[in-house]
Amino acid sequence: MSLLDVDDVTVRFGGIVALDGLSFSIEEGHICGLIGPNGAGKTTMFNVVSRIYQPTSGSVRFRGKELLEVPAHGIAKLGIARTFQNLALFPTMSLLDNVMVGAHSQGKIGFGRAVFRVGAHKENVATRNFAGDLLHELGLGTWAFRPAMGLPFGTLKRLEIARALAARPSFLLMDEPASGLTHGEVDELAETIVKIRDQFDLTVLLVEHHMSMVMGISDRVVAMEFGRKIADGTPDEVQRDEAVIAAYLGSS
Amino acid sequence: MKSLVTIREGSAAHWAIRIVTAVLLVAILLWVPTKGSASLITTSIEAMTLMSAAMALNLVLGYTGQISIGHSAFLGIGAYTTGIMVSRWGFSPWVTFPVAFGVAFFVGVLVSFPAARIKGVYLALVTLALGLVFPQMLTWKRFSWLTGGGSGLPLSCPATSATRTCAGVAKTTTGFDIGPAQKGQLQTFKIFGHDFFGDLRRLDNKSAFWYWIALSVVVVIYLACRGVVKSRVGRSLIAIRDNETAAAVMGVNLVRTKAFVFGLSAGLCALPGCVVAIKTGGVSPEGILSLTVLGAITFLIAMVIGGAGSLWGPILGSTLYVFVTDKTGSWADDDKIPGLIRPLFGWSKISPADGIFALLLIILMFVAPRGIAGLWKQYSPLVVRVLPRPAGTGGTPEPLATVSATETTNEGEPQ
Repeated sequence: MSLLDVDDVTVRFGGIVALDGLSFSIEEGHICGLIGPNGAGKTTMFNVVSRIYQPTSGSVRFRGKELLEVPAHGIAKLGIARTFQNLALFPTMSLLDNVMVGAHSQGKIGFGRAVFRVGAHKENVATRNFAGDLLHELGLGTWAFRPAMGLPFGTLKRLEIARALAARPSFLLMDEPASGLTHGEVDELAETIVKIRDQFDLTVLLVEHHMSMVMGISDRVVAMEFGRKIADGTPDEVQRDEAVIAAYLGSS
Repeated sequence: MKSLVTIREGSAAHWAIRIVTAVLLVAILLWVPTKGSASLITTSIEAMTLMSAAMALNLVLGYTGQISIGHSAFLGIGAYTTGIMVSRWGFSPWVTFPVAFGVAFFVGVLVSFPAARIKGVYLALVTLALGLVFPQMLTWKRFSWLTGGGSGLPLSCPATSATRTCAGVAKTTTGFDIGPAQKGQLQTFKIFGHDFFGDLRRLDNKSAFWYWIALSVVVVIYLACRGVVKSRVGRSLIAIRDNETAAAVMGVNLVRTKAFVFGLSAGLCALPGCVVAIKTGGVSPEGILSLTVLGAITFLIAMVIGGAGSLWGPILGSTLYVFVTDKTGSWADDDKIPGLIRPLFGWSKISPADGIFALLLIILMFVAPRGIAGLWKQYSPLVVRVLPRPAGTGGTPEPLATVSATETTNEGEPQ
């Protein structure tokens, strides 16, 4: 059974159709690349899965469970985590605290237990060590106690990944992780994605403009244009697809 | 940035600093009611009620980033809960504290639901409306059977009084008296036959006694705030402040978290209200300034100059606010103004306290935009830098469930 089934999803913003009956599915353990020209609806698709947008119609199932019935704050608990295109970190918090918030869905302490400190210290120590290990794993250990504000963009992109991993997800959505990175950083990122996929048993949905990276690491690529799917297959198949070539280079 | 001394968190040196600080703090807190003057005690009580309210506000505004200019209403709810329960129904004032917390918590949660949907200046306006309408509501005729209308409710009546406002009051004392009352004498509070608080209560108006009550409220609120802030919940509050969307994706239930933090903040803010009510000896819309919207603005000022989003900020800010306004408030005569600033402020017939504080506020916001606590955080590492305990086990990240199950906390010192 596939991990994620997107079935006939349509999103309308007023008169604009951002997604038009989009369907695709992702197999467990795959890295699935979602490509398409600007305005194709990739980020909209992304926001539907991470429950920021409610689609006009259609269904999204995760391990057979209907995602559209889950509130935005409920998906982390199901094992879905995401990174943001333009960084959505907590700038005043330290890197460590950012990752600790990432582990929010794993914790149990609520207001009552926090006020009376029932088990709060124990949970803090466990979460703190877990977050520290994750930071070291992604090479961010040196900056653990620095606030996120003011660190280089590439570092913060990696922090986004660390924070997403803190939710112990089985499914990771990455929105243009390579945007704004230098060539060297993009290569490093590609390695990181494959590495964390193997290490944490992840399935990855990768929205990306950086073609060589998408084609290099994806097991499967879905191409979109104007809110519709135009191609779906292995990187080789999609690269040869005429509709994709037309969408990117214009048809002759 | 170089620092003079660098120590590790949890090291002997670090504990030494903590213990010395704690001892100094306790010494000051003991010195004020035993050796301090009556006016110092009164000012300290004022500072402590203000810092209680400012700490409660800090949870909502400083940590969660939800602007509230209506917290005076919650303080007022606390004051009136005490007033009504003691005056109308003859309850002991002690009982009113948890009840006031409960009532204000409930109202706070109700307010939070519209607050969860609106942000920034709109939320400020909605809470401002609450702050403005609350003192008005107290004077409404329909509620006067409960609130006593514009004249309010007395908490204690002199034994000889036969005025109508006192008719409903069963007790002739504040209700705090322990043991049978003796005519014309201050009551003593004996522990094992020793009049332990005797020296503290040498003042006729029982100021020292109020001091201990106000201090207890401060400690309770501080511990509650600290517990919340240094936990998963506290991190989620800051996450909401910094980036709501990201917080929701991490699994933070925005509506529920905002409702709880607003309720908790409102409930805690009611506690200093109870203190003010019993100290004033009665509640009325005019009698307690901090239940009007002016009070809410004072909480805001105290919190901001101290440092929003820090545990000690409201404490430092309130202390500074109360002692500066108290000091400058006595400069009614030109001659009493120190020569250095007399040319600046000597032109007014009334005390220049507000003007001086306004000027101080402007200067502070330039020098320390993140308040006194922010200034401390920025410059204290120049002298002593505390290196945080390293995070992580040094290995690859284990699943969290496994970690917490096998976790043995050998460093179990209280934080």
